[in-house]
Order: sequence, then C-alpha cells, then structure tokens
Amino acid sequence: MTDGAHIQTIGVSHTYKGGGTQALGQIDLEICPGEAVALVGRSGCGKSTLLHILSGLSLPTQGKVLIDGTRITEPSPSRIMMFQAPSLYPWMSVEQNVGLGLRFNGKMREAGKRIPEVLELVELGDYAKRNVQDLSGGQQQRVALARSLALKPDVLLLDEPLSALDAFTRHALQRDIRKICKELGITLVLVTHDINEAVMMADRALVMKADPGDIEAEITIPISGDRLPSMAAFGEARRELVAAYEAAAGMAMAEAQSFIPQDSLNTPAPIDRLAAN
Amino acid sequence: MNQASPITTREAGFTPSYSPGSSKAFLSENMRGRIGGGLESLGYTLAGMALLLAVWWLGGRMVAASDDLYAFADFAPAPTLVRLTDMIRTGEAFQITVPSLYRIASGLFWAITIGVPVGILVGAIAGFRKLTNVPFQFLRMISPLSWMPIAVMAFATWEGAIVFLIAVAAIWPVLFSTASGLRRIEPSWFKVARNLGARPWHMLFVIILPAISQDILSGIRLALGVAWIILVPAEYLGVTSGLGYAINDARDTLEYDRLAATVVIIGVIGFSLDSLLQLAIAKLSWLRSS
Repeated sequence: MTDGAHIQTIGVSHTYKGGGTQALGQIDLEICPGEAVALVGRSGCGKSTLLHILSGLSLPTQGKVLIDGTRITEPSPSRIMMFQAPSLYPWMSVEQNVGLGLRFNGKMREAGKRIPEVLELVELGDYAKRNVQDLSGGQQQRVALARSLALKPDVLLLDEPLSALDAFTRHALQRDIRKICKELGITLVLVTHDINEAVMMADRALVMKADPGDIEAEITIPISGDRLPSMAAFGEARRELVAAYEAAAGMAMAEAQSFIPQDSLNTPAPIDRLAAN
Repeated sequence: MNQASPITTREAGFTPSYSPGSSKAFLSENMRGRIGGGLESLGYTLAGMALLLAVWWLGGRMVAASDDLYAFADFAPAPTLVRLTDMIRTGEAFQITVPSLYRIASGLFWAITIGVPVGILVGAIAGFRKLTNVPFQFLRMISPLSWMPIAVMAFATWEGAIVFLIAVAAIWPVLFSTASGLRRIEPSWFKVARNLGARPWHMLFVIILPAISQDILSGIRLALGVAWIILVPAEYLGVTSGLGYAINDARDTLEYDRLAATVVIIGVIGFSLDSLLQLAIAKLSWLRSS
C-alpha cells in the first residue's frame, strides 16, 4: 500500500511551441493523497495537456507542479500514465510487459513476487505466459493497469484508457480501477469525455472549458461503496455534472444534436437499409 | 430498490467460450488444411524444379546437336551432375565454398555493424536524415563493382578489397530497412517506456532493437542477395580461392562440366542461405498474422 501523493499546481499554463494556441490558462488545483479526480470537458479544453504536465511528460510554459511539495521536472515511475491504447510491447509476454518498469528501475528481484501479485489483482493470474497479442482489448488494458501497478505508483493518471472498450468491459474496469486505487491508496486522476465514467470513478470532477483551458466548475461525488448507474445518488451526481458540463460548453446536450444533419437521423443505418432490401 | 447486479470479470468476457469438442474438431480440420497446403506447395516446388531441369536438358541437347556449340556440351545436366558428385566426393566443393562464405560473412558483418547504427540515426534524427538523404541515395546508385579499382588501390590485400566490395553492396538494404523500421515504431511505446523509467540504453536494447528486428532481418536478407551476386565477379580479382575463382578457372581450363557444377553450388548455397534467413525472420517475427 502506498500513501498516495499530494498534487498541487500553481499558475500552470501551457502554450504549444511555435506560438500556437494557449492550451491552458492559469490552473491552480490541489488533489489530496488517495483522492480520485476526473477532468471532464469537451475536446480541446486542455484535459490531456494538463494530465501530461502532471505526469512530467510535458513541462508547463509557466507555473509549477508540486508532488508532495517537490517540483516535478521529468516523468517518474511513481506517477504512471495509462493511455487510450494499452501500448503493450507485442514481442513480449504478459509477465514481461508487466515487469518492464521493474526491469527499467533495477528491481527485478521483486519481479518474482510482484508480477503474479498484480496479475491476480487485475484478474489475469492465468495469463502470465501468454503473448499480449492473444488478448482482447479489455484484457490488454488490464495488463497495462498491472504494468502501472507493478511499480507501486503514488499517482495513476488515466488518459481515456477505457474509451475504446465495449460497455460491459468498460464498466468492469471502471469499478476495478477505482477499487484497486482505493485499496492501495493511490491518487487517481483521469481524463474522460464520459460523464458516467467520471461519476463511476471519481470522488470529485473538475469541469474544464476551452480557449484557454481552465477549470470552470468542481463537483464532488460523495458516493461510498460500489457505484451503479441505477443508484439515486449516481443519478443526482450525474445531473449535477451534466449541468456544469453544459455551462462550461455554453450549450445544452440537446443542442449538440444540431451538429448532426436532421436527414441522417431519419436515414436508417446501413445494416437496416440492407435488411430492408 | 431494483438494482442491476455489478458486472463480474467473467461476465465481461474473460472466460474462453469454446468447448473441448469443438476445439478438437477445429484442430483436426486445421491440421488437415495445413497438410493439404503443404503438399500442394511441395507439388508446385517439384514441378518447378522439373521444369527447370527439362529446359536445361533441352538446352544441353540442342548445344550437343549443334556443330558450332558442340564443345560446350558438358554444360548439360548429366555431365554437370556427374562432376558435381565428384566434386562433393573429393571435397573440392567444400574447398571452393568455404573462402566465399567467409568473405560473404565478413562483408555482411561490416554492412550490419555500420548499417544498423547509421540506420537508427537516420530513422531517429530528422536533421541527420535530411543531411544524409541525398549523399546516401547518390552512393547507393553507384554500382558496387565500379569501386573495384579504388578497392584494389585502397586495400593491401585482395581479400580486403573483396570484403569491401561486398560490404559496399550490402550496406544499403540494411541501412534503409533499419531506418524505415524505426520510423514506423509506435510513438506511444517510447512515451510509455519513458514514463516507466527507461534510460537511453533501455530504449535501444529493450524497445528499439526488438521493435525493428524484423526490418533489420529483412534488410539483411536483401543484403545477402546483393552480396551473393557481387561475390562471383569480386572473386575474379587476384584471389586463388572461392566460387568466383573456381568459375574463372574452369572457363580457362575449358572444364565446362566443372563450371556448370560450380554454378549449381552457387545456386544451392544462395538458396539455402536465403531460406535460412526466411526461417529466422519467421521465427523472430512478433507480428501475428490475423
């Protein structure tokens, strides 16, 4: 069990090289050890940029990020990021992928005990010797999760790693990641477009707006124990988050429909058209 | 309250969904398909070889029947195969092959030793790629044999000159395959490795080299083909050993059966080396065919 890490950003702003758009305005935020925070917002509001800065993979143009009071200047195995694609190494087996961080950090002595432990944690205990190419998308993300957990990180940063999965697998992973992070005391920061995912996984959601990216609202999600979309508290938190999301985006969810041509809404999907013929 | 039960991992699709019976049936069907495919492939190979032999035999008959070409009748399959058997029995085949294989190995060694690191630099550093693009393309287009006079002057021994010519021919496929493999590496693999604490040597030996191993091997396979072609004319230079020398010598002594047998040896060894590399590529390939 780790103690999690305290994250603080002070006046963090970011402009992409070449004098491009200012991706982030001035972000001041604080995340407590062991807390789960979701960054929610429309595309281009700077969620992923902020996450990369928190990981140390990118440096802010201005401002600083403090982890447990120490300014970060580079990535660290104590802050692991999971990406949309699992990014596993296809020439390696499941256990080789999981043990990679240990290998890079000279901790291979721990591998014999640690790898089976984290594989059990993500329910892939029987898959250690398999090649990762033989696994399903959900199983691959579980391997990526195990790889991240093998290093006993203080912070886990998720950049929409579940967005490409089917609804059932996504739901199971949302629940399991939250549970594992809570059990191990890991501070969790996730980026998502999906409001249900934010309510499912986070203790607090930060709603971001674009041009430049900034935190517009903060919604706490005080649901203890297992979370299910059918719960009243879940629905309440969801409604609150939708309202904040709409306010930050400057439009209602229903208005988003206007981006889709009315014709296409009335035209049957190709499969239906085939069936009709 | 009617709450949906949480989805378990098993329900989320982690249990294999095949039954032992169906898997057995699938395996036997799969095996039958494989055996059938193998037999078909063998049939085509044998038919192709028979066709080649028939053309050779026909050519031999025509040469033997011609008053002008009669002196070259020993090129025909029968005298060639008799001489080849003789060369194998006396150890001559082995004797003329070993120096050539040594030269090929030396030339390829230098081509790989220089080609892979330079290819990695070309693939990884945009500035270096831009700087070297035109010079490398220019040098690549120069026939390796046109370096022959320079090689003879530059190296103290004939041996050195031959290895140089082979290396000059073989370096480009290795270099360009390595560079193109590197440019196709998934960028997120670097990002993840960095995040997991990889140092530069980890990046090279744990990520880059395994990721491009197939590209390097494909480059080596192409290089071997080019080197094998260059070998025979290169061995016309000063040396008194090797397959190229044996061909030249057989021509001078008018032993056309020996000349043709040496050609067969060159073909068999070239084909075997290529097959071995193909096997290595298949063995080391991490990419699953769908």
